[in-house]
Amino acid sequence: MTRRHLLLAAAGALAFGQSGSPNLYAIQNATIHTASGPPIANATIVVRNGLIEAIGASAPAPAGAWTIDGKGLHVYPGLIDALSTWGVPAAAPVAAARPAAAPGGGGRRGANDDTPANVQFQDDGGPEERPSNTSWIKAADLVQSADANLIAARNAGFTTAIVFPTTGIFGGQGSVLNLAGDRAGDMVVSSPVGQYLSMSTRGFSAFPGSLMGSISYVRQVYLDAEHYKTAKSMYAQNARGLQRPAYDRALEGVLESPRTLLPAGRKVEIERMIRFGKELKTPIILYGGVEAWRSADALKTAGVPMLINLQWPEREREGDPDFLDSLRTLETRELAPSGPAVLAKAGVRFAFYSGGVARPADIRKAVKKAVDAGLANEDALKAMTIEAARIYGVDDRLGSLENGKIANLFVTDGDWLAEKTLVKMVFVDGRKFEPPPTPAPAGRTE
Amino acid sequence: MKISVALLALAAFAADDSFVLRNVTIHSVTSAVIPNATLVVTGGKIADFGTKITIPKGAKIVDGKGLHVYPGLIDSASNIGMAEVSSVRETSDMVELGDFNPQLRSVSAINPSSDHIPVTRGNGITTSLIYPGGGIIGGQAALVHLDGWTWEEMAVEKNVTMQMRMPTIATTTFNPVFGAARRPFAETKRRYEERLKLMSEFFEQARAYQRRKAVGDAGFAIDRRLEAMLPVLDGKESLMVFAPRERAVKDALAFATKEKVKIILAGVREAGSAVKEIADRKIPVILGETLELPLDDDAAYDSPFTLPAELHRAGVTIAFGTFSVQFARNLPFQVANAVGFGLPYEEALKAVTINPAKIWGVDDRIGSIEKGKWADLILTDGDPLEGRSQVKQMWIQGRSVSLETRHTKLYEHYSKRPE
Amino acid sequence: MQRRKFLGGLLLGPISASAAEGTIVIRNAKILTVTKGSFDGSILIRDGKIVEVGANVNAPADARVIDAGGQYVMPGIIDCHSHIASEAINEGTVSVSSMTGIEDTVNAEDIGIYRALAGGVTTANILHGSANAIGGKNVVIKMRWGKDAPEILLDGATPGIKFALGENPKRRGGGDTGLATRLRYPATRMGVEDVIREAFTDAKAYKANWDDYRLKVAKGERLIAPRRDLKLEPLVEVLEGKRFVHAHCYRADEILMLLRVADEFGFKIRTLQHVLEGYKVAKEIKEHGAGASTFSDWWSYKMEAFDAIPYNAALMHKKGVLVSLNSDSGELMRHLNQEAAKTVRYGGLTDDEALARITINPAKQLAIDNRVGSIEVGKDADLVIYDKHPLSNYAKVQKVFIDGQMYFDRDKDMSDRAVKAERRKMLAEKQKAAAAPARPAGGARRPQ
Repeated sequence: MTRRHLLLAAAGALAFGQSGSPNLYAIQNATIHTASGPPIANATIVVRNGLIEAIGASAPAPAGAWTIDGKGLHVYPGLIDALSTWGVPAAAPVAAARPAAAPGGGGRRGANDDTPANVQFQDDGGPEERPSNTSWIKAADLVQSADANLIAARNAGFTTAIVFPTTGIFGGQGSVLNLAGDRAGDMVVSSPVGQYLSMSTRGFSAFPGSLMGSISYVRQVYLDAEHYKTAKSMYAQNARGLQRPAYDRALEGVLESPRTLLPAGRKVEIERMIRFGKELKTPIILYGGVEAWRSADALKTAGVPMLINLQWPEREREGDPDFLDSLRTLETRELAPSGPAVLAKAGVRFAFYSGGVARPADIRKAVKKAVDAGLANEDALKAMTIEAARIYGVDDRLGSLENGKIANLFVTDGDWLAEKTLVKMVFVDGRKFEPPPTPAPAGRTE
Repeated sequence: MKISVALLALAAFAADDSFVLRNVTIHSVTSAVIPNATLVVTGGKIADFGTKITIPKGAKIVDGKGLHVYPGLIDSASNIGMAEVSSVRETSDMVELGDFNPQLRSVSAINPSSDHIPVTRGNGITTSLIYPGGGIIGGQAALVHLDGWTWEEMAVEKNVTMQMRMPTIATTTFNPVFGAARRPFAETKRRYEERLKLMSEFFEQARAYQRRKAVGDAGFAIDRRLEAMLPVLDGKESLMVFAPRERAVKDALAFATKEKVKIILAGVREAGSAVKEIADRKIPVILGETLELPLDDDAAYDSPFTLPAELHRAGVTIAFGTFSVQFARNLPFQVANAVGFGLPYEEALKAVTINPAKIWGVDDRIGSIEKGKWADLILTDGDPLEGRSQVKQMWIQGRSVSLETRHTKLYEHYSKRPE
Repeated sequence: MQRRKFLGGLLLGPISASAAEGTIVIRNAKILTVTKGSFDGSILIRDGKIVEVGANVNAPADARVIDAGGQYVMPGIIDCHSHIASEAINEGTVSVSSMTGIEDTVNAEDIGIYRALAGGVTTANILHGSANAIGGKNVVIKMRWGKDAPEILLDGATPGIKFALGENPKRRGGGDTGLATRLRYPATRMGVEDVIREAFTDAKAYKANWDDYRLKVAKGERLIAPRRDLKLEPLVEVLEGKRFVHAHCYRADEILMLLRVADEFGFKIRTLQHVLEGYKVAKEIKEHGAGASTFSDWWSYKMEAFDAIPYNAALMHKKGVLVSLNSDSGELMRHLNQEAAKTVRYGGLTDDEALARITINPAKQLAIDNRVGSIEVGKDADLVIYDKHPLSNYAKVQKVFIDGQMYFDRDKDMSDRAVKAERRKMLAEKQKAAAAPARPAGGARRPQ
């Protein structure tokens, strides 16, 4: 055993933190991309107790540090998926939060003797029944650290995801989660960070059955929430003589959320949701952005951030050969990847999210497409790191490599967007992970 | 002798289907327009017309009041008489179950008391082709006059053509209640190919039947479905093939070549590169409605309006059909729209008179004002294709036909409601 | 950058370089004012308004000149019943959907807007569908193709709401229509009346509750405000005369029912829509003061349309009802001029009376006749140039102006087609090539 190893072994007792893994690292001589400034060549980054202690060309490795030779390697802030479902199992469709009074049985609006046996009555409900609503549930309470998607994402360089429950119209509250932890609680960086809304409809027989129904439902719920808040506050100050406000967990969930996420892909939707967002009197974030390329003005004027889905529209594999796609479809496909560049130029705040991209390794390809369409490399990195953190108000602790921030980073053997680049290691909260080597595809020679 | 001839002559003019129409402008369609003219109808047929006509003695004179007389218009695709209220299934007989029903005929399912018949007549239509729907081969269409005590009396040709619908690949379907639905191309393509195969097999079956019958095969038994196919296979009966889009049109043309049958294309809404072949093969086209939306978002806004002119310029013989029950009376307006967008007026008029008469093989009897043809006539105060014109009188086979309808009666009745 | 380029091949934005400011003179036109006769002359437009109309006008030297070439100019057509430009039409899952509104789903990029323009329509009343006895709120839009949603709304138009009587709102109550086995009240015309009465009774109580609350709070009482109910608020506006009711109806009995219910609750029906049996109760419609917006000649597609007559418009008009013709269809909308001509055929209206069905009358029904509906000084310069008299079925729209800006030019439309088609083909081929799987380098597989 060499002297060096002995020293390490000795230092090991001091240097090892929780669960026997080291809590002091120094990656030396690497190119460090901080996302808060230009890349620093031949630099060292020191990580202690889960936080970044030092970055610099001349930062020395502290005594007892587990050193990693970073020659030829690149260090990046851990990637952040700005709107994710990793780690949270898909939920079953949600019934009405407050089911309507039991239908049928001689009710005024229900069955009578003439009604055939197989017939049901739809809840002549409306917003009051709180359909499709689980606004109170939190991703932080549902996340499972051993989830396969989560692990795959981490292996691809992701350290953080802003995870939301996404079933129904009021999906629930999201949390900023680091993608590692012995217990689920260890993963939570910030919770709740927002309410996930979709304008889904419940089909033909159940409210809301149309976009206008969904929008009016959301509007009513936010009005009800405001009323509920006022009522509760008045009641809390002095309950005497007042009717007790009925507990409504759907409204509690809405009130708890510091911001609201609204879906918006096309320009028409983006402008519509910007106008609608103003009515809700809560900060909004839009997600989707397939026509972001032509919506910069509206987003800029409104100061609303945009989360861009990395699943760029693709040509149908098996379309009808005798028919051309519409010009609109063709242009959207052509220009969607240029959206991020347009937004960057206009000074609109935006970040990327995985969206429909199933494999985290494909996410980098998708980002590359935006770069090829004009997005600057630094802006691409920021959109997957610091900008996502900023949008959710956690940029003081995440998203870039700066002293004092959480040690979320990943190390590669080349430019993170280059096709052949491999992720060598990933640090989450200062804990090191090494992705398993990807087996070489059969038949390919080196 | 002389007296009896005179009596006979008198008797001829005493019948309802003989009269003399004076003081009219005659639009014969097949010859020049004649102002200040006279038209003589004897025994339901056009006997003579022009400016220097000798009025037969004792003739019943009808004063045309300077109005216009045209041949009655012909609708080459309609379902009137086969449905009363389209949303009520009990009133509709247009679509039977099954894919191959060549033995069905629409003629005897036409309700001569349908309110749609007088209503349609009101706008100058005297003859309509009434077709069955359904499946791939729906049955035989009938060409009928819009007047008669029974369907038998109405019939001009009981089984004038065999109706067929080309299978298509429909990735987008539209349900009036649930809206649009998209199906994957692979699935709809497979279904289309299956149906083309079914069609091909059916024709094979029919030919096999034809051969067995010709040979006097032992144990040969009549199969009414296949029996009904024989005139089609012999080229004696045409197939009216519904083919709305270019691909279906091309399929129809290929099918006609392969099966060696005589086809008429119907409901065509785009022809694309098939136009030349249609013209070269002299296949007539019954146009789809002009008053329709363009086929896709990027199509020229006037594409349904310009198609008739486009086909005419390419040398295709065109006719118009309404493909409707409740809008059958709007045939003239379907045609007029095409005129605004490039179809020469004379051709437009032909497309609802002499062209369909020729296509359906009845131009010896109707379709223009010519000596010897039936007096299927309308008297109008102007161009019958124009919205502001009115049809003042109508004759079918020389009989004056009432233009009173359910609508005119309700109008009169409620006009009289006291204030 | 990309923003002003072709999208969907349609050049977005008004065609004329000069915006609403600036002076335009349309010369050499056969002017059909609809309300003040027809004559040959010119129209002077300034800042989007008609400032002069006559045989001659005082056009300044720098005015932009549009030579109408002896063609016809009429006011832009107003369609009182349309469902274009919206991404949703019905919220049919509940009996009363008054909390919803078209304003939330306006789609200013719907090609239906452009096609309507090409048919001479400049303003339309976009209504909620007819799946509910009480449906959602409407918007009134101008066909300002290329502008976005807030910009196409006709500012100042009185808000409205849709009611529907008869077969449509009761369709989900049962029957053999295959519409799911989940039923929704009502199933009969009796139930339709019930839904309306119930909703307005609730609305009255809601209003009383709020009035009471405001009174008490004004006196200094400490109370929690009532909950705002977005479903009932539009109905309160109806009661207060601030929101127009546009009621889809067919049969004479239901028309009369609605007029009487409205009388009892103290509000007016602004327009009866479709109102195909309106001719039977023209007297009552006139007395109530409702307008009637109907089809030219649709009938028999439903039982309740079986007594529909094409003389409906003419007969109601003769009995003193304010009558317009509408389309309720993106297709029919393209030739409302032809539909208007039918009132000459069916009912003997004059040309001006026919044109009024689709211009000044719907304008009056929507209470926007101070702005649109005829060619008069002071009104918006919403004008259509036709190559023939608009009541001729052979007429084609050549140019359309809204607020003095040209939004449709047939010549330009035709010349743009080739460019559009070319771009579409180019993009389709480019994307097809990009999607094709790449051949392995060197072709054949190399031996291992």
